Formats: sequence, C-alpha cells, structure tokens
Amino acid sequence: MGLGGSVTDVALRSENLRKVYRVKGAPPVEALAGVSLEVRRGERVALLGRNGAGKTTFLKIASTLLRPTSGRIQVFGYDVDQTPEKARPYIAVVPQEGKPFFHLTPREQVYTYLRARGIGRETAKARTEEALEKMGLLECANRLSITLSGGQRQRAMVATVIATEAPLLFLDEPTIGMDPFARRSVWESMRTLTRQGSTILLTTHYLDEAEALSHRLYIIERGRVLVAGTAEDLKRSVGGTVKVLLPGGAALVESFRTFGSCVTEGDALTIIVTPERLGEIMELAVRSKLMATVGPVTLEEAFLRVVGRSIDEN
Amino acid sequence: MATSMLVQGVLLIFVWILAPGLLGVAFVGAIIFSTFTMGQRVLNEAAYIRIDHKANDLYLAGPMSPEAYFLGMSTGILVVYLAPVVALGALAAAVVHFTLAQGLLLIALASVVWVFSASVGYVFSTFFRDNRAIWAYSSLFFNVFGVLPPVFYPFGLFPTPLHPVALLMPPSGAAAIAQMSLGITHLTSGELALAVGGLVVETVFVFLFAIYWARRTVRAD
Repeated sequence: MGLGGSVTDVALRSENLRKVYRVKGAPPVEALAGVSLEVRRGERVALLGRNGAGKTTFLKIASTLLRPTSGRIQVFGYDVDQTPEKARPYIAVVPQEGKPFFHLTPREQVYTYLRARGIGRETAKARTEEALEKMGLLECANRLSITLSGGQRQRAMVATVIATEAPLLFLDEPTIGMDPFARRSVWESMRTLTRQGSTILLTTHYLDEAEALSHRLYIIERGRVLVAGTAEDLKRSVGGTVKVLLPGGAALVESFRTFGSCVTEGDALTIIVTPERLGEIMELAVRSKLMATVGPVTLEEAFLRVVGRSIDEN
Repeated sequence: MATSMLVQGVLLIFVWILAPGLLGVAFVGAIIFSTFTMGQRVLNEAAYIRIDHKANDLYLAGPMSPEAYFLGMSTGILVVYLAPVVALGALAAAVVHFTLAQGLLLIALASVVWVFSASVGYVFSTFFRDNRAIWAYSSLFFNVFGVLPPVFYPFGLFPTPLHPVALLMPPSGAAAIAQMSLGITHLTSGELALAVGGLVVETVFVFLFAIYWARRTVRAD
C-alpha cells in the first residue's frame, strides 16, 4: 500500500451507520438509518438506490467530509469519525457533479491535484499522462476545461482521481454525461486499478455499469441496505432469471400469475420465471395466441422489482 | 488581473487631475486597497469552487490538510493578482519618491492587510450555500472596509468621533499609519498605538481563527 497503514483486508467497514440531517424549522431527515456494509481490498462495489436513498450521504461520511450521527465506519482500520486525518491519505473522491477548474487544462488539473497530494514531480507527470491517455483526453489535454464538453470535463475529473492510485477510491456517479465509449474506458481503468490493488466504491444510476463493473452491490433504500450480494444474487431474488414478454397479454395476467412475478405495462405482460417453467408458459402463450419474447432478466428489472416491492410495503 | 485595478486606476487618474497634492494618499490607498481586495477574492473563489466545482470534496478528502488548503488557495490568488500591485508600487515609488523605510513599511502594512482580508474571506466563504448570496456580502465588505473609511483619502477628513473606529479597521488603520509615515497625516501616540495594536491583534486573531475554522469545517455536521 505504500502508506505504512494498518494491515487489514477490509478496506471499508461500516456498522449501523446513521445520519440525521437537522435543519431549523424543518423536521429531521434520516438519510441513513443504520447502514452496515463491508468492502474488501481489491473489490469493486456499487451502491445502488433511488435519488435521495442515502448513497451520497454514505460516501460523504466514508470520505471524511460529513460527520455521522451514530454508528462506526472505518477505512483500512482507521476510524473515519474519530481519526479522519489517518484515513484521508488512503482515499480519493470523484465528487458528484464535481467539475475541473475551468481555467486549467486537463493536464494542469491532474498534475496540480497530484502535486497537492504530495506526489513528486516526475511521478506526477508520468501518472498525469497515463491517466489522460486512459481517459482519452490527450487530444484536448492542453485546452482550458471551460472549452470542454460535459463528458470531457467528467473524464477530466475521473482522470484526476484515478491518477492518484489511492488505495480506496470513492466515485459518486463517475460516468454521468459520458458517451458509451468513454464509459467503457472508465470501466477498464477501474478494472486495472483494482487488479493493481486499489478498492473502488461507486454509486451509479446506470445498472449496466453496476453489472459490468462491480463484484458486489448494495441496494440502499430509505437509508437502509435493502439487498447485498452479486448482480446474479439480486436477479435470482426476484423469482427467476428469465423474463417472458407477451405483447397483448395484459388481459390474461391472472392465467399467468401462477408461473411467476407478473408486471403489466400498457397491454403487455412481463413474467419473470425460472428456466424450468419456460416450456409451460410457451404452451399457454401459444394456446392463447400470443406472441412471446424470451430473454434474461436484467439488473435494472431486478432493481425495479426489489425497490418497487419495498416502496409498496412502506 | 487588469479589472482588479479598475477602481484604484480611475481614482488615481481623478486625483492626478484634480488634486495632485493628494497623490501620495491615493497611491498608499490604492496599494492597501489592492491587497485588501486580493484577500476578499478568497471569499468569492473559495465559495465558488466549493459550491460549483466541489473542489473541497476533491481536495479535502485526501492527504492535504484543511489549513494547507486555505493557505494554498489564498496564496494562489495572491500570486495571480500580485503583478498589477507590484506595478502600482513601482509607479508610486517613481511619483511619490518613498524612502526605503517608507516603502518597506508600506509593503509590511499591505501584507498584514492581505492576511486579515484573506482570513476573513475564507471564514465567510464557508457560510454560503448559494453563489448569488456571495455577491451581496462581497460588495458589503468591499465598501465597509475599503471605500467608506479613510483608505483612499486623508485620515484627517474622517469625522473625529469615529477616528478610533477607522483606526481599528485594518485597511484604514494601515492606511493611516502609512499616511503618517509619509507626513500626510498626524496621529497622536495613542492613535498610533491603537492603529498598530488593532492591526496586529485583529490580524493574528482572525488568521488563527481561520486556521481553526478551516479544520472545523472540513467536515459538515
């Protein structure tokens, strides 16, 4: 790790972490209601959740920028609340909606930040060039950031932080506004970083990103961990790994309900089933003179089901 | 950089045309006012890059200490805006013919005013959640500390009952000491002690408080 830090395989651990925002004249808002999670060294873990679920609050506390109301949180064994100055050398953050300095070029932005973190000139120069290349920013590396597109600015922010090679990276919606090629460049850089020993905790609303990138994920809803596991675990938790789409099948929803979880959207019916029951469904679809499309359940669908179920219960 | 000297430049031209005998006062005021406004830019910049760029999150969630962040930002702004002030100082030396001691005193006074102003600016920058509110407060400080008290005009023209107030305000206190050193203004020994004491005590207090505040506000509650 190179920082002389504590030897632990756990990069981040939170126990019953709570955060209540109190604003004068308004009722208190419980942003985190007891979040316990663990991220092991070298893992890429995604925090998923709706807007306002508590993801950014968690990242802010973990990155030493916000005090928790109660609970414990540690970075490489250091208590983030009690000894934040010991945790800080291990972390780097891509803030949500962060922007590079407009009157610096991406090259200056990355280099200046590395120097501010105490990295030597030569190393900083080399890492700057490497990060700019990885993020596809070499062509515009000498343009002022104010002249860059939104996606290029976001890439400059990600380049700034990945160049640190910090042991624990917090990325709050890191690929927002990026084109699909740029997003994949970021994903590849993250995979490389974790292969080299870094750990990544990211939030994202792109479920394909979470699936492609994360070893494990946590779904946060109303400040609580709703589900923890792999993307496959989450998909299995909704009752099947295969979905059958029946256009015009909404009217027959009761006939199909015994096979699995059913959702109607307009006149279409979607059923999530286990592969074993696929034959029976297809038979019934043929008898009902319905067209059927079969495909795998996506993480987004599983997410919608799991969070939707929680919303209904509440 | 050029716009940072607009007020001072216009005033100097007016004084040069209308009352060339007051050029010494005007140059002293322009230099002190310039370092005061450089400090106040910390208020604008620190709030802006925290609110709009999330630079605090980027820099403070890392090995950089909060006080280094405050000092680095303040010094960075000083470096950017220093060149016109140096040019102004050179012009002042050519026109007013300062002695070396007077010149050094003026540099020291201007530096102390910058420390005071940058510290106040950084502390106040942490209170804002919205960029629009900054402009109003920035203008308020600009006028209360730099324009109303006798920074640009002779200390003797300020209402006598309010002299202690002006001497206790670092920019006008520093200007009064500089005007005295040039023989433009007469201060009693009590007034001089008030100006020097006020300048030193307030600046040290505000600077130490800014360091404390930078550490205190690195994490939100």
